[in-house]
Amino acid sequence: MITCKQVSNALSKEDYKDMPFVRRLFLRLHVSLCLFCGKFNKQVMESQHMCSCYKEREDTLAAHRPKMNELKKEELSQLLQSHIKSK
Amino acid sequence: MPIDEEPKVPITPPELWVESYGDYLYGFAMSRLRNAEAAADCVQDTFLAGIKALERFDGSRDIKFWLRGIMRNKIVDQIRKSIKENKVNIESEDETLIESFWFKYSGIATTNPDPWQFNPRKHYDNGEFWVVLEKCIAQVKHPAREAFVLRVLEEQTTEEVCKAMDISPNYLWVLLHRAREQLKTLLEANWTGKDAN
Repeated sequence: MITCKQVSNALSKEDYKDMPFVRRLFLRLHVSLCLFCGKFNKQVMESQHMCSCYKEREDTLAAHRPKMNELKKEELSQLLQSHIKSK
Repeated sequence: MPIDEEPKVPITPPELWVESYGDYLYGFAMSRLRNAEAAADCVQDTFLAGIKALERFDGSRDIKFWLRGIMRNKIVDQIRKSIKENKVNIESEDETLIESFWFKYSGIATTNPDPWQFNPRKHYDNGEFWVVLEKCIAQVKHPAREAFVLRVLEEQTTEEVCKAMDISPNYLWVLLHRAREQLKTLLEANWTGKDAN
């Protein structure tokens, strides 16, 4: 059986979903039964799951993100032109 | 299959990068850096590095994602630089936590964390939820935010983040706990759709 410390260490190094099947099984079992670390580490796993779903959907959020200043864009275009020419 | 196969995706010429990808990359950098000047610098450095390395682009995916890949390294460099200028000092509350029995015994901050006021999983299909989550991530305080961005969003290893932030792995774990705690509180306060099923 694994210890609470091993569960926390594993979750600090790797997302639960990326762990090998057997480790996930032991971890899930420990977290479901443990009166000490169960509630805390369940929230860690929940948060990892939420963040990984967020990363998968990130590109759909592009329209809500701030846009680059038009003046800055103009300057940047000119800078790129000069680099392309000098290449 | 021919060896000199044509690229699968047409390559946008660098002259059109600012117009085509400027806003996309800037928005992405802002989601990590929260600083307009630093984000614009990252985009600029990315485009210049992209022009230099264009010959190495194999055309196997959209160039937008290739440029984003370059920019992710620039973002990590930028955060590293900002941390060097603004060193992370451990809060006494966090020091006490690391020295506490529970933390030493089990690596947890508390045996009884406040439960979620709503089940976030029920809202994953609602696009608006992710917009709100992104706004909440932006409000997480320094240095927990930097730890969260490097470790969770940019998927740097524990060792890499500890080195970049000049902190111990225990403190990184505590900072990630603080970031999670703040995100939960912020989401509970800002997500208005939580009563919907």
